[in-house]
Amino acid sequence: MEQAPKLALMGVSRTFGDLTALSSTELAVKPGEFISVVGPSGCGKSTMFNIIAGVLQPSTGKVLIDGKDVTNQSGHVGYMLQKDLLLPWRTVLDNIVLGAVLKGGASRAERDEGVALARRYGLGDFINHYPAALSGGMRQRVALMRTLAMHHDVMLLDEPFGALDSQTRLSMQQWLLSVWEKEKRTIVFVTHDIDEAIFLADRVVVMTPRPGRIHEIIDVPIERPRPVSSLTRPEFVALKQRILGTIYNNASPANEEAAPHA
Amino acid sequence: MHDLTENRSVLLKIFYPVAALVLVVGAWAFLVWFYEVPRYVMPSPSDVANHISEDWQTLVKGFGVTFLEFLLGFTLGAGTGFVFAVLMDMSRTVRGILYPILILSQAIPIIAISAALTIWLGFGLAPKLVIVALVVFFPVVVNVLDGLASVDKDVLNLVRSMGASKFSTFRHVKLPATYSPLFSALKLSATFSVTGAVIAEWTASTSGGIGAYLLQANSRLNTAGTFSAITFLAALGIVSFLLVVAVEYLLTPWKSGHKARRWSRSYWQE
Repeated sequence: MEQAPKLALMGVSRTFGDLTALSSTELAVKPGEFISVVGPSGCGKSTMFNIIAGVLQPSTGKVLIDGKDVTNQSGHVGYMLQKDLLLPWRTVLDNIVLGAVLKGGASRAERDEGVALARRYGLGDFINHYPAALSGGMRQRVALMRTLAMHHDVMLLDEPFGALDSQTRLSMQQWLLSVWEKEKRTIVFVTHDIDEAIFLADRVVVMTPRPGRIHEIIDVPIERPRPVSSLTRPEFVALKQRILGTIYNNASPANEEAAPHA
Repeated sequence: MHDLTENRSVLLKIFYPVAALVLVVGAWAFLVWFYEVPRYVMPSPSDVANHISEDWQTLVKGFGVTFLEFLLGFTLGAGTGFVFAVLMDMSRTVRGILYPILILSQAIPIIAISAALTIWLGFGLAPKLVIVALVVFFPVVVNVLDGLASVDKDVLNLVRSMGASKFSTFRHVKLPATYSPLFSALKLSATFSVTGAVIAEWTASTSGGIGAYLLQANSRLNTAGTFSAITFLAALGIVSFLLVVAVEYLLTPWKSGHKARRWSRSYWQE
């Protein structure tokens, strides 16, 4: 490790009663790195996500950000889910600056910054609208701006584009990459979509269930910036095959039943 | 074009209730005239109008008295109910202890305790306030509790991850989530509360409210007086309801429009 990790999980695990949702996990994310996490349901993605976010206590282990122990402490990372979780009684602007509001009130400068964000990403005409008046894609953009406005170095995104149509999704992915390249944030991006995982990430973390664990971490050696055409390059397809193979071989029930006899 | 349809819908909103009122009063006048109903059985609208204009001052004063009972009792009951709901939401023990008491309070008929309340609290304003408050209290507690429980767990996790304190979570996330169910409860109980005030005045009436006026007119077979009081009580019920609707309109702008109101604090301007 030539570089101190921005975010590190050290022996993090979590059990719920008899069930091991996440077995002991090590993960180090470099500053400015884009990590995707893929895996079938039950592989411990969400558990890991919630532990990093500080809203779930790990049974063992530590979460470090910049070498500082932030285990079970919230407020150190930006955080976004598939559900936009916008507050219906707050306008677009007031939702974007929610982080500041919750900590005692948004200043004029913070509100101006929120307005600038909304304008840059095509919501300039909706600053005073309530979320109910927006489409799904617009709401999700507001949710992402809310995460950006919190100025955390580490951003956790849990299938943020999962509910969008494929066109919107592709343009949101490219937008996210441009934001990430400009702002040098460290991103952990959880998704079901293997194409999306490879297209966005420097490394793909492949997780498998029973018990939930990191199965392998795969480098994505495709240079940036990545045009949409990189989705069809041979390296891309080879990576996709490898990840599909890993997930399929470990998740299929047939394989599980066969295992004791092997 | 858009403005035109909007103006039309506002006009219709006024037109329909007025038309309904004219229809009811017209039918009433016609039936009394057609069947030659004696005045002491059923007065005509004009008899009632005459009575109202003769006794205008007493009626208006009574309206004020009963309206004050409603307003204070309603605010007291809604406020107490709200605080109860918040406490019950915060602690499972509190909820466990208070819930049976709440249901008990609702199971006892108000008429049954109004006499006892007069003995305890006298003939003044106090027993009326308690009775009106009891009417609002229960629906408010139940609805506000529902509102507090309906907040998405993911939203709570999100704001916690954003570093929100318990207080700011309550203020910015839980409290606004109670507004809709709170106002449903208030709208339902606004008119019942007026009934509560009348019942309270029947039990002990030195106040000169409309309920007391009604009781007196009734005991003298003064049907025009009775109907005058009924008219004022109906007006009181409508005023109470509209008052709640107006407050709701002011406090929940996101339910009645796409955008923040221009004069509100959350409206952003260059």
